[in-house]
Amino acid sequence: MPHLPSRLLASLVVSAALCGGPALAEMTKSLNINGTTGLIDMPSGDAQDDAAFTFSTAFVGPISRATISFQITDRLSGSFRFQTWRDWDTLFPGDSSKFNNRSFDIRYQLLKEGRYLPSLTVGLIDFTGQSVFASEYVAATKTFGDRVKVTAGLGWGRLGSYGSIGEPFGDRPLLDGDDRGTPNVDQWFRGDAAPFAGVEVKLTDTWTFKGEYSSDAYVLEDDERGLIERDSPFNFGFEYQRGPNTRYGIYSMHGTEVGFVLHLVLDPKNRATGGVMGAAPVALKARPSRTADPDAYDGGWVVQPDAGPLLRKNLAKRLAVDGIIIENLAYTAKTVQVRIRNNRIDAGSQAIGRTARALSHVMPASVEVFEIVPVVKGIGASKVTIRRSDLEALEYAPDNANLLRQRVTITDAGPVPANAVGDDGLYPKFRWGLRPDFRMSEPLKGDLGLRLSASYDFRPGLVLSGSIYGRVVGNVDRSGNPSDSVLQPVRSDSSRYSKFGSPGLERLTLAWFARPAPDLYSRVSFGYLERMHAGISGEVLWKPVESRLALGAELNYTKQRDTDGLLGFDEYDYDVVTGHVSAYYDFGNGFLGQLDVGKYLAGDVGATISVDRVFVNGWRVGAYATVTDVSAADFGTGGFDKGVRFSIPLNWAMGTQSNNTFGTTLRSSTGDGGARLDVDGRLYNSIRDYHSGALDPEWGRVWR
Amino acid sequence: MMRIRLAVGLMALVALAACGSDRPKASPLGQIIGNVAKSTIGKVGSRRAGTAAAAPAPVTRADLEKFNLPILRATIKARGADAFLTVSDTKGNVVTWATTDATTFTLRDGILIQTRGLGPDLMSAQAPSLAALLTDGGTHQRIYFFLGEDDQTTRRTYDCTVSVVGKETIEVFARAHAVTRISEECVRPQGKITNDYWVEGPLIRKSRQLASGGTGFIDFERVVD
Repeated sequence: MPHLPSRLLASLVVSAALCGGPALAEMTKSLNINGTTGLIDMPSGDAQDDAAFTFSTAFVGPISRATISFQITDRLSGSFRFQTWRDWDTLFPGDSSKFNNRSFDIRYQLLKEGRYLPSLTVGLIDFTGQSVFASEYVAATKTFGDRVKVTAGLGWGRLGSYGSIGEPFGDRPLLDGDDRGTPNVDQWFRGDAAPFAGVEVKLTDTWTFKGEYSSDAYVLEDDERGLIERDSPFNFGFEYQRGPNTRYGIYSMHGTEVGFVLHLVLDPKNRATGGVMGAAPVALKARPSRTADPDAYDGGWVVQPDAGPLLRKNLAKRLAVDGIIIENLAYTAKTVQVRIRNNRIDAGSQAIGRTARALSHVMPASVEVFEIVPVVKGIGASKVTIRRSDLEALEYAPDNANLLRQRVTITDAGPVPANAVGDDGLYPKFRWGLRPDFRMSEPLKGDLGLRLSASYDFRPGLVLSGSIYGRVVGNVDRSGNPSDSVLQPVRSDSSRYSKFGSPGLERLTLAWFARPAPDLYSRVSFGYLERMHAGISGEVLWKPVESRLALGAELNYTKQRDTDGLLGFDEYDYDVVTGHVSAYYDFGNGFLGQLDVGKYLAGDVGATISVDRVFVNGWRVGAYATVTDVSAADFGTGGFDKGVRFSIPLNWAMGTQSNNTFGTTLRSSTGDGGARLDVDGRLYNSIRDYHSGALDPEWGRVWR
Repeated sequence: MMRIRLAVGLMALVALAACGSDRPKASPLGQIIGNVAKSTIGKVGSRRAGTAAAAPAPVTRADLEKFNLPILRATIKARGADAFLTVSDTKGNVVTWATTDATTFTLRDGILIQTRGLGPDLMSAQAPSLAALLTDGGTHQRIYFFLGEDDQTTRRTYDCTVSVVGKETIEVFARAHAVTRISEECVRPQGKITNDYWVEGPLIRKSRQLASGGTGFIDFERVVD
């Protein structure tokens, strides 16, 4: 995916052209250099539109910031920021020349702007970190007319460091040296409070002027480290909006510096292409009426010996157009069950609809019931049962998707029918590929490399697969320095693996997926499971097709691999049994929660809680936090493991028929506590796509 | 068989048109047949290349009639898209028309009920019958089901009134037709739309109908019967 950013941008240009630019009657809820909603450096009372996903990069003198923000609900938003201070050794020669910090912000809009009332937001900046940037604020913003916006607020922490009005809620206690990385509750809204304010004036549809009075004294950068001169609390500058997705800013900062910012604003709810692209389906084939042609409905064809292979061949030809492969075909005179592997269409419902249309062309008229079983990892994920006469009756009916859904049942896939006609050419099957891949480790950091992968399917559900990855260019940590972690360096030695293990064997596993009983799914993986660990991993999942709740358990025994990317286990002499019990819950409206309790790779015991927001088009944005019995001090920077993750379907940006995604997990730290095995093919997300919780929201595409 | 002949004919036209120009260029007919959906991309592409989209050289009625097939012309002004469509499926009075790159338009007696492949598509519709449309002063409810940029079905319900505007003579692709102009005005609290039809006997010769919120109106002209 080397061209992703430029192609993504290109597609955004397309969307700008289609939509004719943003509706500028309303003033943009703009972002600040910290990548959160606000003025220049200060926050505002505004919130972004629900689900807005923004990526901001800002450079002010020696300080650079890269931030990903997500408007989790219409009032709540979260940000993950990676900040670098260069010239960190200005006053302390011998110190490292760079200092990095990762931080999380969270903000909540208490009041939405009304006719008289301003919007009001309360926020926490760097609320779990080492407190380098920690601040809290309340900010109010009011729009006057359609061109002027005024913001005023009160800040604590860094935002209370200039022009304080006293300590309304008492002293701000110092952070305990050990207490790093946990929410610093004791500090919140304590200590000096200082007011800040600013104004935003829309000059034209594309240009905006911003000016602010900042309450951040930049004590760390100016007084302590001498990185910048902060001569003035006034910052001002201009912003340029280019289409709905990009915004640039240039500012005079602190009276001495020039600041630049670029914001990329994406809307995960809505396709950049304006809608689902791709070719139209073929129309259903109408059956002759039963009275006019009763012979057509005769079921005698089932006894013809060549019927199965012929039907299978004809169906395969029709489905190949959409990248759908037939695993099995079983039929009687009245019912057909086809097991399909959907390799390309990003919506399960559309793949089901296309399969049903193809069946209408291929199956003799006597076949009334279509059972479509999507197969994932070789196992049936669900069974969608559609009556052919319903399809025929509803093809051109108003509201046909809803009406069809009412008549369709989605149930457990069940076993493969005994009379199924498989394909001799499908198993065993060898596949390989060589393709570039981008591995992002943090905003603005990643590796671009080549991955050679291959797999050998012995039979459905039993697959030997492996991959070798070699880095070509990139800027991830490749120092190769041994970790100073007091825990087993199950993750903190990753720079050694990056340095010594490229090219290296990422994975080489034998995996077996099965359906031991109705509603139960299982996986056993054996071999080199991930870059740093090898062994055996087993998982069981209980997930009824219609259930919001799923329960799972995983048990692994692994040894830590050598850093050279080869097959040995000599460097570490570390083996561990890990495992979790997991509960998954679909809260509706696209919010999925997960709780895992168990033992992690470094031998620590604890729990991980995560929440993801999943969009109909496949976008996914989530966050997780892991707390274990490792003390924050032993854990290392970050205190406990937490992070954000996102996944963007390429199809959303480009419109091509593809179910590939681009995404990554960004962690607050690379500490060893709370680390889980990175095994491929975990069950829940593999099969959920074809359960009603995922199929129903996208069901409109069944007729697409 | 007809389809093959059409394809061969088109290819011949492509080859002819390519003669004499420096760069091989798609034939005017090739350019306009097909690619309703892609034309937006093409537009952006040409804008980026710094040139205005080249106006297609005129296709003559004789060119189209050679194929001996019913041809419907669809134009989406907002997208600068223009295509000649052929029939891909017929079920009673419901006819599906397709571009060569598989964008389809399904019409019941000439009244649009579905589109596929435009991006923002009309997935289904409760539309009036032709008889209802020919009744001056008649009223009906119209419901559109769009699949929009959010991948979800959006339902829009309108109350519509039909009015016969009067007799007109229109020209469709260099041929004059005596028609009755009919206007279907549809309102809902959030706004109103008007679909226009030019009816010749039992046939809607020309129309301007809403496809979806994202696509806007499509102009249809029945060029060859």
